[in-house]
Amino acid sequence: MKRRTRNLLLNWRIILLTLFLVGSVATLAFKPLTYGIDISGGVALVAQTEHPVDSDTMQLVVSSLQKRLNTLGLRDITVEAQGDQIVLIKVANVSTAEEANQIKSVIESQGVFYMEFTGTVFGTGEDVEYVGIYQIKSDNSWAVPFRISKAAAEKFAELAYGKKGWPVDMFLDPPVDSLMVVPDSVYRLMNSTDFNAEAPDAPTLMERVGKAFNVTVVAYANQSADEIAKLAEGKDKIVLVDVPQDLQTQLEGMNLTVRYVPRAPGESDHSLVVRVLGLYGPYSLGEGLTVGEPQQDVQITGTAPDRMTAEQEASTIYTVLKSGSLPVKLNVVGMEFISPRLGENFRTQALYAGLAALIAVLLIVYFHYRNWRIAVPIASTSLFEVVIILGFASLINWNLDLPSIAGIIAAIGTGVDQQIVITDELLSGEKTTRITRRASVLRRMGRAFFVIFASAATTIAAMSFLLVYFVGTLKGFAFTTILGVLIGILVTRPAYAEIAKYLLGED
Amino acid sequence: MSKPKSKAKPTAGDAVRARKRKKLGFLAEMEYKKMILYPLVVFLVALILLAVNFPTLGIDLQGGVVVTAYGIDANPDELAKTLSAQLGVDVRVESFTSVDTSGIRVYAPVGTDPTEIIKILKHDYPNAEYTHSEVQPTFGKIAQQQGIRALVFAFLAMAVVVFLFFRNLVPSMTIIFSALSDMAIAVALMGLFGIELTTATIAALLMLIGYTVDSNILLTTKLLRRKDDTLDEAYLSAVSTGFTMSTTTLGALLVLWIISTSQTIDNIAIVLIFGLLADFMNTWVLNAGVLKWYLSNPARGGSE
Repeated sequence: MKRRTRNLLLNWRIILLTLFLVGSVATLAFKPLTYGIDISGGVALVAQTEHPVDSDTMQLVVSSLQKRLNTLGLRDITVEAQGDQIVLIKVANVSTAEEANQIKSVIESQGVFYMEFTGTVFGTGEDVEYVGIYQIKSDNSWAVPFRISKAAAEKFAELAYGKKGWPVDMFLDPPVDSLMVVPDSVYRLMNSTDFNAEAPDAPTLMERVGKAFNVTVVAYANQSADEIAKLAEGKDKIVLVDVPQDLQTQLEGMNLTVRYVPRAPGESDHSLVVRVLGLYGPYSLGEGLTVGEPQQDVQITGTAPDRMTAEQEASTIYTVLKSGSLPVKLNVVGMEFISPRLGENFRTQALYAGLAALIAVLLIVYFHYRNWRIAVPIASTSLFEVVIILGFASLINWNLDLPSIAGIIAAIGTGVDQQIVITDELLSGEKTTRITRRASVLRRMGRAFFVIFASAATTIAAMSFLLVYFVGTLKGFAFTTILGVLIGILVTRPAYAEIAKYLLGED
Repeated sequence: MSKPKSKAKPTAGDAVRARKRKKLGFLAEMEYKKMILYPLVVFLVALILLAVNFPTLGIDLQGGVVVTAYGIDANPDELAKTLSAQLGVDVRVESFTSVDTSGIRVYAPVGTDPTEIIKILKHDYPNAEYTHSEVQPTFGKIAQQQGIRALVFAFLAMAVVVFLFFRNLVPSMTIIFSALSDMAIAVALMGLFGIELTTATIAALLMLIGYTVDSNILLTTKLLRRKDDTLDEAYLSAVSTGFTMSTTTLGALLVLWIISTSQTIDNIAIVLIFGLLADFMNTWVLNAGVLKWYLSNPARGGSE
């Protein structure tokens, strides 16, 4: 008896299980688990790029999105690309639905960024290589330093030669390739020198956007929808600004893409134009940049009446430059918000449900065999398995979300099944002599492990497709299932077989 | 603790197993033609059910808005009327209760602002906990395609592995067919009980592949690799093991379903329960029937 016990404890399978258990408990003690948004609370957003992009572009999207959200002062953000079109954004510690919606609009307002001068686009978001921290001086003037690519700098130097004080415009998501229908006063404003910085002889804003973005502006003078549609021929879309809204319905009825922009209460013509075009600036061109020398390190400067306004202006342009490095437009296509308090509920509930399921397994197994020496090892092996899976998850910082928990349940379920297979094979032996019994135990264990390996292999094969190819939440499910099955066949199942052999006197 | 080795085997277990075998004996006495026929009829019925009453797609697969309020006890019909009137869109309201909380779910069409719904609800129920989610139809479509692809690929992968393990056409095909039938029946039952097809329930269907193949592999292995047992003996021993496996899993899932208030976990649990029930028939009746018929041909391992 003593030797049997020692043999069991010194069996490498038992030692391996012990090592894994101790390691997992230690890991969990020092490195708490991180939970998914659906458990801990927060907002999860799925954004889709306008069109499929290559992996370099995707990487760029991810890093600039991360930067942009960081500049908003949000913490616990993960941004993850999946496939060639989907970006998953998770922000923890978001406590209200309004806050969640704000994050959504921030991601969606991520436009495509252009730098334009005299009607020529000399750089896009891709050309912004670095944005420095903005400075605010005591006279309430501010400066945002940034670096543009060599190509953009060279193009700009050529364009800007000798044009001191001319307007430099930046646009975030302008209505490219469109027909803009605006009230007469707005038309006149856009066609004036109001947006020309300090250079009255520079082209007007209307000329600049016309040349740079193929935007045609027309004044609204009671044209019919048909007339407008005719003017818009060949254009991508129609932007209706502060004109009667029934035009929108009529034009949309003709299968045209229409964006309707109403005037906000009390909004001036100037700010309406700025808003519709996504215009930042115009900034007056400093003398240093007009000598024909390409300069990559540039800055945008301005003055404001007070420090707060200066801060606001500087931080706006800072954020725009940062986010502007987004090479493609994103749409939020899915969003889930869970309040943190509810998340906590879910977590305790998942814990209770798990424990209750484990107790159910214990009782049902006991009911079947009427033997605690089978029921207790089976239930505790399952518990060990959960601990080891969780230890692994915390080790590699896996975010435990609901699908991951479902995966753990799946792994435990098949685990119990496999332990029952082992137990039944052990129990089914005939009472014969020791030697033939030993041979028959080996044979029956071989059969049990054939079943176990075959079912583990099918599960892993089925799930690995999910893990590699698919987007969205099923990944977590696949990951924990595979992890659980692997731990099962490599660590816990062999150990259980030894324990069962020992307890059932078959070693 | 110390027992002489020759008596080490627990005798209580033997008695229990004997009883269980007796109880399940009716399965062994069934004629294999019937064993094959009945499950096939059920499979066909499931297919017909699927054709006339396919489960509805959840919002994560077709797009829409859901607002969930926990800690509310409200009349769903009245609430739906109020909300529809105030929002100007048709909404559907469902109430749910669980062990420690109750609440409502508001389903609204794509484009509805969830914060508006919450604002209206907050007016009457300021203390409820709110969560919301919205999915655009475009993403729903992607999720749909991915879900279908996931199921197809996982199924094919399972089929290939089963073939590799058994290298025997008839037993392998039977395992694969019974997994297919399990899934079909589970989905048909989802339609019958009004459970939506969502990413989570697709995950559950994927899980089914793992669970159901287990018992089939067990049965096939026992019958094909039996050495000195008779066919019926091997079958009964497999059934008794399988019965233990299924009831344990079913029990655990039932507990999970009762205790959890998370819709995701609830739905996963119930779909698995459906599938496991279907699997009980497909493994121990259909698969066993086919194997009995297959093995009763003396050339393939002999009959008694």
